[in-house]
Amino acid sequence: MGIHGEKSRHSKKHKSSKDDHHRVTEDGNAYFAAEDFDDDRIPEGEPKKRDFTKLELKPDHLNRPLWACADGRIFLETFSPLYKQAYDFLIAIAEPVCRPESMHEYNLTPHSLYAAVSVGLETETIITVLNKLSKTKLPKEMIDFIHGSTANYGKVKLVLKKNRYFIESPFPEVLKKLLKDEVIGKARISAEVVHGADGFTVSKSLNELGGGHDDLLSEAELAAAAEEKDTHAFEIDPVQVENVKQRCLPNALNYPMLEEYDFRNDTVNPDLDMELKPHAQPRPYQEKSLSKMFGNGRARSGIIVLPCGAGKSLVGVSAACRIKKSCLCLATNAVSVDQWAFQFKLWSTIRDDHICRFTSDSKERFRGNVGVVVTTYNMVAFGGKRSEESEKIIEEIRNREWGLLLMDEVHVVPAHMFRKVISITKSHCKLGLTATLVREDERITDLNFLIGPKLYEANWLDLVKSGFIANVQCAEVWCPMTKEFFAEYLKKENSKKKQALYVMNPNKFRACEFLIRFHERERGDKIIVFADNLFALTEYAMKLRKPMIYGATSHVERTKILEAFKTSKDVNTIFLSKVGDNSIDIPEANVIIQISSHAGSRRQEAQRLGRILRAKGRLEDRLAGGKEEYNAFFYSLVSTDTQEMYYSTKRQQFLIDQGYSFKVITSLPPPDCGAELSYNKLQEQMDLLRKVLSAGDDAVGLEMLEEDADEVALMKARRSSGSMSVMSGANGMVYMEYSTGHKRLVKSKPKDPSKRHYLFKKRFT
Amino acid sequence: MVNATRGLLISCDIPMAQFIISMNNSKPSNQKFIIHVLDDTHLFVQPHATEMIRIAIAEFREANTYEKPA
Repeated sequence: MGIHGEKSRHSKKHKSSKDDHHRVTEDGNAYFAAEDFDDDRIPEGEPKKRDFTKLELKPDHLNRPLWACADGRIFLETFSPLYKQAYDFLIAIAEPVCRPESMHEYNLTPHSLYAAVSVGLETETIITVLNKLSKTKLPKEMIDFIHGSTANYGKVKLVLKKNRYFIESPFPEVLKKLLKDEVIGKARISAEVVHGADGFTVSKSLNELGGGHDDLLSEAELAAAAEEKDTHAFEIDPVQVENVKQRCLPNALNYPMLEEYDFRNDTVNPDLDMELKPHAQPRPYQEKSLSKMFGNGRARSGIIVLPCGAGKSLVGVSAACRIKKSCLCLATNAVSVDQWAFQFKLWSTIRDDHICRFTSDSKERFRGNVGVVVTTYNMVAFGGKRSEESEKIIEEIRNREWGLLLMDEVHVVPAHMFRKVISITKSHCKLGLTATLVREDERITDLNFLIGPKLYEANWLDLVKSGFIANVQCAEVWCPMTKEFFAEYLKKENSKKKQALYVMNPNKFRACEFLIRFHERERGDKIIVFADNLFALTEYAMKLRKPMIYGATSHVERTKILEAFKTSKDVNTIFLSKVGDNSIDIPEANVIIQISSHAGSRRQEAQRLGRILRAKGRLEDRLAGGKEEYNAFFYSLVSTDTQEMYYSTKRQQFLIDQGYSFKVITSLPPPDCGAELSYNKLQEQMDLLRKVLSAGDDAVGLEMLEEDADEVALMKARRSSGSMSVMSGANGMVYMEYSTGHKRLVKSKPKDPSKRHYLFKKRFT
Repeated sequence: MVNATRGLLISCDIPMAQFIISMNNSKPSNQKFIIHVLDDTHLFVQPHATEMIRIAIAEFREANTYEKPA
């Protein structure tokens, strides 16, 4: 939120101006406070653009919960009695920007309005309800914007009925316009008998059962919505579906199609016998998200955004139970495949032989004509040669018609992989699940067209307040660089090792060790330590004698370590590399210490926090004022005066937008207990420094996993790829330093053509 | 014989002292401005260097501070 964001930024800056004691004394009498360096002026022109004093206040504005501004921003007071209803409405039509405790900021965007229309809201309804809730008269710009954005969205629907694709619309003139397009015109399969003048099939559509908003609509609107509408439709060639869809995108005809699946009337695909078990009680927000998906009795494609630990899998399983058709469930890695399979068995009455896992380790064959298959994105999209066995399974997946394509952690999968997965699998309905709909490469918008609009997004703080997810205390621990490490950090020749230097900062190590001791001994907590930097991960884990899991750790070993962490009293801390970011379910953990991270990735920060969000303990203890208001802790260790400060602030933005605040801790470990921790002596610190400096550049770099392609946008210059020498073990550190320098010299010489041998001169010029 | 030099006393934290020292080291010898490194947190420098140090530190800190795009 603008206001809040501004504030937190200020305070942040203020804190970071720790150079208070950084005064310059001129001849011993004049002081310059370091604050002079701070330049906190608001960019020029901004205040003017955001001056809304002219907006007219309604006389009863006190009773209304929100402010609507001409630039599309909407501010919601969460203390208003109408908050709950207003929130449900706003989340359907606008994109949440920032949601701290008492004021939320939302933004109307074409995409958010697209999503609104797709769950059944109409342009006029949006405007009237918004006007009703707003303290001021709706600015004309906003009304125009809503009209402009929703004019075409959602008017056309693509429906799969009895395995025939129909394009449906309540507006025959729109269909006519579409048919004028060459591609669509050709794709049409003409009905033999002409119904009416247009040749469109006309049918009565079901009433929208859009849940949640009804209480806001006046009777007149309800009556209007209840009025039965005629739906016109024409059939298109299944082969041409992809092309037709493309033609309808905003950059062409601008009639984006909604996809719906009328699963109850699907008699071609066999039903799967599965029900939710009685003990599976969806929570209110899970119900709500499902009601958005199944609003009118059909299944809509789209994305549901819930915080980690809020029970995304139950939503997925419930959706599958409602559709009751074959379901393909895609997860990011083998561990989460196991977890999904387990969730299906836990929540639903599905028979064991109807569910099978398909990973590189376990290739369970599909029996019968209906079932649930759980696999990974990589397995499906894999382009190379497969084993005979998996080739058969893939062939089956390809040939089958899926009722539901359930996609976990949609934010991690790059667009091209999605296209591939979606082109391989024929599915009636796609449901994407994620906690963090942010990517650093801004490819998130692609999901709008590849899967569908965002159907629901939960508010983190509301879930915390009602005790559904843990109340996490976030803290940023500032560790000053030691003199020797900082001196090396500043040297130009160490530019590639900067990360290793600030991660291995002895003060950071000591802070980490202190926190582990404190939480293990004083509170008996279970701790996860995250490090992206493999070098640091190994160093820390070895020194502290704790188990670690990283990319190369085998599936069996991972399971073993995780099992020990869950059950054993002796294993209370594990070290994880990036592999632990997503969907490794470790419900026991309640403390996270982050010692190194992936540059400024907001998503990673949120995902890591998500590892401890699952609510623990009894509900009444967790609520505000209960025994333990905070029962989970998230520490991010940052070396001050380094790039890490920049990244750290950037990373926190997503969580700050969700209403979290970070407490800054500056004096860890406390001075009185420093002696028992490692690296207390200068000599030890120097040894560590030598070790860092002598490690090869590639060894201290980041771990790379196939799964995340989000990297590239972030890392550009700082990425260093692994070399053969590391893998072969011939990591000749010292030689490498020399050879890189030498090679350059040698290479640069012959580039001068005049010095080449005459035989070769021609060749290169 | 006592030798008096006019100069500037800078007191700062350890990392910033290292920053100024590294700045000094990167200059050619006729432009070096540190007269004496007194200890980890105190430096004695030539008076004309004030502005330059100030700008360099401001830039350095700016580079490490994230501003949320408006």
